[in-house]
Amino acid sequence: MTKTGAAGRRQEIVFTGFGGQGIILAGRILGKAAVLGDHRESTLVQAYGPEARGGACSAQVIIADQAIHYPYVRRPDILACMSQAGFDKFIGQMKQGGTLLIDKDLVQPKGFSGDYFSIPSSRMAEELGRVMMANIIMLGFFTAVTGTVSVDAARDAVMKSVPKGTEEMNANAFNKGCDYGVAVLKGREKKAKGKTGA
Amino acid sequence: MARDPHAQTSSHVAEKLHTKSLTPYILRLAPTIMTDFNIILFMCNWGPHAAFQALQDRSAEIPDEIKMVRIPCAGRISKALLLRCFEMGAHGVALVGCRAGSCRYGAGSSNAEDHVADARGILRLLGLGKERLRLATFLPDEPEQLLSFLRDFSREIASMGSGPVPPSAERQVPAEAPDRVREILAAHDVYACQDCGKCSSACPLTLAGKPFSPRAIANEVIAGHIHFPDVQRDIWACLTCGLCYDRCPSGVDFAAFIRDLRHYLTTRGDPACVAHGGFFQSLMRTMTCNNLRPRHWDWLPKDIETDPDSRVLFFGGCAPYFDVFFRTHLGVRTRDILVDGLRLLNFFDIHPALLMDERCCGHDLLWSGDRDNFLKLARLNVEAIRDRGIEQLITACPECYHTLATDYPREGIELGFKVTHLFDLIEKEVDKGAVSFKKLDRRLTFQDPCRMSRFENRPDLPRKLIGRLEPLSFTEMPDHGASAICCGNSAWVGCDAFSKALQVRRIRQAHGTGSDLLVTACPKCQIHLRCAMEDPFLGEELNIEIMDLTSVLAKTIEWE
Ligand code: SF4
Ligand code: SF4
Ligand code: SF4
Repeated sequence: MTKTGAAGRRQEIVFTGFGGQGIILAGRILGKAAVLGDHRESTLVQAYGPEARGGACSAQVIIADQAIHYPYVRRPDILACMSQAGFDKFIGQMKQGGTLLIDKDLVQPKGFSGDYFSIPSSRMAEELGRVMMANIIMLGFFTAVTGTVSVDAARDAVMKSVPKGTEEMNANAFNKGCDYGVAVLKGREKKAKGKTGA
Repeated sequence: MARDPHAQTSSHVAEKLHTKSLTPYILRLAPTIMTDFNIILFMCNWGPHAAFQALQDRSAEIPDEIKMVRIPCAGRISKALLLRCFEMGAHGVALVGCRAGSCRYGAGSSNAEDHVADARGILRLLGLGKERLRLATFLPDEPEQLLSFLRDFSREIASMGSGPVPPSAERQVPAEAPDRVREILAAHDVYACQDCGKCSSACPLTLAGKPFSPRAIANEVIAGHIHFPDVQRDIWACLTCGLCYDRCPSGVDFAAFIRDLRHYLTTRGDPACVAHGGFFQSLMRTMTCNNLRPRHWDWLPKDIETDPDSRVLFFGGCAPYFDVFFRTHLGVRTRDILVDGLRLLNFFDIHPALLMDERCCGHDLLWSGDRDNFLKLARLNVEAIRDRGIEQLITACPECYHTLATDYPREGIELGFKVTHLFDLIEKEVDKGAVSFKKLDRRLTFQDPCRMSRFENRPDLPRKLIGRLEPLSFTEMPDHGASAICCGNSAWVGCDAFSKALQVRRIRQAHGTGSDLLVTACPKCQIHLRCAMEDPFLGEELNIEIMDLTSVLAKTIEWE
């Protein structure tokens, strides 16, 4: 993604959705993974206010190799959307050529002409019996597709951040999202080689 | 005159025999004539024998190692008999008949051609070399040509060396073990039978009208009547489909009971009742030879990606042999299942290893009474797989799966690797997502494989995958899942008119669903059901396309 020579690697990320989806938690886990697991720098800015009670809500995360002096995200390199309102609000800010991730059933990427990655994270969470885990599934997907944090660091951070007794379930949800992401990448690679079927 | 004295005896005896009784005759003969270099010459009584006699009359030197068996017609020497010679250690076999157009019975010469072509295909796969079997035809006035053929053939075989199959010793009949039957009865708790008859009312053979009853067999064996011919006949007739076990309130595992009774009968030397002249049993027994190097995968399409260093092995099963054997009859293409299985693995970037000299898993030997040779095969297989450092074996065949995963350990053979059915692996991969299935313009129904749906109790596995497909419709037959009716045969044992009747019933059920594609999950279901569709009177009515689930998946799967 962004590479700015001496400044090292630095990525700006926005996770967005509606209140109650665990968007802020996803942002926090992502930052923890970068700092505790991958030993890099990270900041998190969470959008509170009316948004936190069901409106558009967002977590702004920056991950870098060097100290971060300004924690607000202006032009995200990566945008992960779990609600239509979140997409509508942030898509205009995304950097040219940035990576867009969406929930397949909840977001229609209207007006966006670039390439994007989608996953039915809410539906998959329902199949696992916990619609609340859609954020963790999205995080797994994010990890596999973007490679911003390492898979082990992200999984560890999930285990350490979720309520006691739900670690297994959440790790499972993370793996599901991750597997899905790996499958999507593999599918794209195969299609690029002109191999769609078996 | 340098000739084997047995040649005289054998031709003399064979003359009097009707072809049908040739098999037991040759079996009895073989151990006595097998020496360390053997060429079996099957010679038709008519054209070539006249030429042969001319050679004898002038005391021509016929190579010593040629053991002649005089037969009524070259067309009557089945593939089973041809292969049997090799199983017993023959180094070469020549079938000598009448020149095309001069056969007394019309079709003899062309039948002989078909049989030899198929048997040569099998020898090639087995790694024995098709050159060891030859067909030649002569007119009565061609003694010179016959003599030079025999000399050349003998020289060629000698130059090939003795081959991997040692001449078989005479079968040892172990001492009587009167308690063995009681042990078998006890091991399967057959004494717990309440005589309720639920098994008989479920058994597809009984329902096909055969005077046959599992309950009656149980009673007869308990009463000590195992040696009655009609009891033995019934022991060989059972399909070992396991449907009765599913219904039995006392949990009598009747199929396993039958399996052990067959073993008992065979070790006593009582005749087995096998289909296709015992061809497939012969094939498997030949594979128990340590030095044999089959060429199982020679034919594999070049675009399939495999990796000899992989820790994952794809175990194909005997489909390539089936296709050669049934080439002119059923025209089945069960090999496609293996190719499509490998394509599915490649789709998910799995490039498995193959055992280029793969052998049979031994399922049919175990279920047709030959446990000793089953164990030999099982040990050879496990050794070969372990030597390759394999951690996981994948197979698309339900019989290979059940045999390797369940029967090997039950028979005391430790695996040291994991056995996975291809469907489990595909289900897991597909479940990860990003994969979908193209629309399929067909109406489907499904034939359960007994080894998976009943023996492994997993009727849900194929259905999960079928549920992911996008056909016009999927409709179950009235009897399905654990209650499914058998495809008509198992382990190439005891196929008869009642098996046909039950197959007809089953195929009519498939048509009754309004489907136009019968999906199967075992190469043998395909073979046996196809066989029923060859019926000259009902064929037209019964015909329905059959395709293995593996192939249906491979043809429709795609990345999203
Ligand atoms: S169903 Fe079981 S208990 Fe009943 S007659 Fe058959 S073997 Fe005996
Ligand atoms: S195993 Fe099948 S064929 Fe044999 S007795 Fe039972 S139901 Fe009948
Ligand atoms: S059903 Fe046909 S193919 Fe199957 S054993 Fe019987 S005769 Fe052979």
